[in-house]
Amino acid sequence: MTASLRSLLLRHETILGVLLILALIALAWQSDRFFTADNLLNQGRLMAEVGLVALAMTFVIVTGGIDLSVGSILGLVAILLGVFWQNMGIPLPIAMVLGILVGGIAGLVNGIIITRFGVPPLIATLATLALYRGLAEGISQARSVRGYPDWFFTLGQGEVLGVPTQLWIFGLLALIAAVILGLSTFGRATYAIGSNAVASRFSGLSVDRTLLLIYMASGLIAGLAAVIFVSRVSTTRSDMGTGLELDVITAVVLGGTSIFGGRGTIIGTLLGLVLMQALKNGLALAGVKGDGTIVVIGAVLIGTILISNIFRKDADG
Amino acid sequence: MIRKTLVAAAALAAMAGSAFAASAWTGGDDLPTNPLACDGTPGAAVAKPYDGGEPTGAPDRKGKKITVVDVPKLIGIGYFNATSKGIADAAMELGNVEAKTDGPTQANIDQQITFIDNYITSGVDGILFAANDPVAIAPVLKKALSKGINVVGYDANSQPDARQWFVNQAEFNGIAKALIDNMAKEIGEESAFAIVTSTFTTPNQARWIAEMAAYAEKCHPKMKWLETVEAQEDNVLSFNQATTLINKYGDELKGIFGMTSVATPASAEAVTQASKCGTIAVVGLATPNAMKPYVEKDCVKSVVLWNPVDLGYAAMHVLRAVADGDLKAGATSVKAGKLGELQVINGSEILLGAPFVFSKENIGQFDF
Repeated sequence: MTASLRSLLLRHETILGVLLILALIALAWQSDRFFTADNLLNQGRLMAEVGLVALAMTFVIVTGGIDLSVGSILGLVAILLGVFWQNMGIPLPIAMVLGILVGGIAGLVNGIIITRFGVPPLIATLATLALYRGLAEGISQARSVRGYPDWFFTLGQGEVLGVPTQLWIFGLLALIAAVILGLSTFGRATYAIGSNAVASRFSGLSVDRTLLLIYMASGLIAGLAAVIFVSRVSTTRSDMGTGLELDVITAVVLGGTSIFGGRGTIIGTLLGLVLMQALKNGLALAGVKGDGTIVVIGAVLIGTILISNIFRKDADG
Repeated sequence: MIRKTLVAAAALAAMAGSAFAASAWTGGDDLPTNPLACDGTPGAAVAKPYDGGEPTGAPDRKGKKITVVDVPKLIGIGYFNATSKGIADAAMELGNVEAKTDGPTQANIDQQITFIDNYITSGVDGILFAANDPVAIAPVLKKALSKGINVVGYDANSQPDARQWFVNQAEFNGIAKALIDNMAKEIGEESAFAIVTSTFTTPNQARWIAEMAAYAEKCHPKMKWLETVEAQEDNVLSFNQATTLINKYGDELKGIFGMTSVATPASAEAVTQASKCGTIAVVGLATPNAMKPYVEKDCVKSVVLWNPVDLGYAAMHVLRAVADGDLKAGATSVKAGKLGELQVINGSEILLGAPFVFSKENIGQFDF
């Protein structure tokens, strides 16, 4: 009993949860405008895109892989949404679905390069990061698409029952992701591949199929995030989502997912995500400038991982 | 599986093939152009009703101390350091304004929106901005107006109804004329040139390039445009892009336009390192300090710009006038401290003045 309690207390998620609560208290202390429903919901709106992509990224990193191309996929899908709708005259709802599907195809291409040709995920997605961004810029010819109909903005700027629309979508997908990763056979296969891909293969797990599905899901969800992003900022540009992958990976790794694979949870990712967003927003409200905020986030990332590693060694020893 | 790969490749190729038509010069936008007369007759001002927005439920701020935040496209570059200095100077001179500058370290629309959003929550009285994208920034600025915050833009505009006033540093056709005329003077009427810009969608640069294309066609029809390249606002990338242009076109290339305060010195450096000073002219927009070495070595003859310190200074004065209720819809001019009376143009814009050409004779007098 005490042993399991001890291991529960020393879990990365627990440490992170405590850190998050401390941060929230400290930030609320610094600015009376931080802990208001209005601000918190607004922050939820701002973090939804990074959050969505981070859900799929958790799976990717748990398999020991990485997907650097998500920001570029977001840019590509955003541009295609505009091109499908404005230049090809496809009705907007169908253009949205097509855009998301293209995201899925882009993810599938990543998966094929990784599984079929044995290219390490870091290299494969570094290449497609450039490839997809280049396509986005080439297709757009640097024109932005504007003038979307009003109903489209409910997705990114509107709210349902007082909560931003995209937070509902994010919440639902987070729940689904948590169930799949934590409770399903697919989730167990994901962990197994991350712990030892060769052993998983010999144990009869369809490693390639699992990886293909995960990278495809990563692309699909980046596509969904693109549609939400376009709706939120009401325009399409080819440089959308530049650097998104770094925010996403930071949230996932801060959430305790091991970059070597085999370990990580959706709850951890959510905690990492919220902590990052709370720091960005809370420090800004407390009067810390942008450059200072980035320094703090870097320090928190290193600090959290060090603390977690020290406790883990203790627990193992 | 190979078939699947081929299908995916074909799909990607088909997507690339769906690119749509471009305008005269790449990097220009598709808005109507209005080139000035070749001989320097000033353009006629067109009367237009006020088309800016109004804050809802703004408290009476007349003469009261206000807090103002300035969110430029990005921080940490010479140009926005200069506008920020102008804002601070004006705030100190006014005495009843607390102003600070904060913003993203990269010219990123999403980050800029987040910065403004946070400052709205923190409860400022006024926002000054230079937009990374005129449409993308509009929703968050409208939100600021709806919370009774005074919003004034400078340097890069948003949609007019998302802010109250915009301080226009120079009209686009004026800058375009100054750039093209100086290039024609340096390289002759029948030479070819290329352009290094930030990105094809950055609003100011796209507008200038479109106006340059229109003005060149009207007044210097034999000059030949070769290519426009994107270099973000990144030093190394700008240098590399300029070097690529020099290598790619060889002797055909006689001139490079730098469209940003980063691209122009980087292009001058590329020309210097390629030992092409005197054979390839660099004309562009830049701050004087960055250009002094090249101008003093005679590698660059004309640097076109306005004074960004004055731009920030004017923006701060306009914001104060709006907060005081002294600048209202329908006004034709506004007082801006030491700059005197500035004219209202295009409904809700305030013109800073004619562009300024820095040359070897005068560049030493400027320090920003």
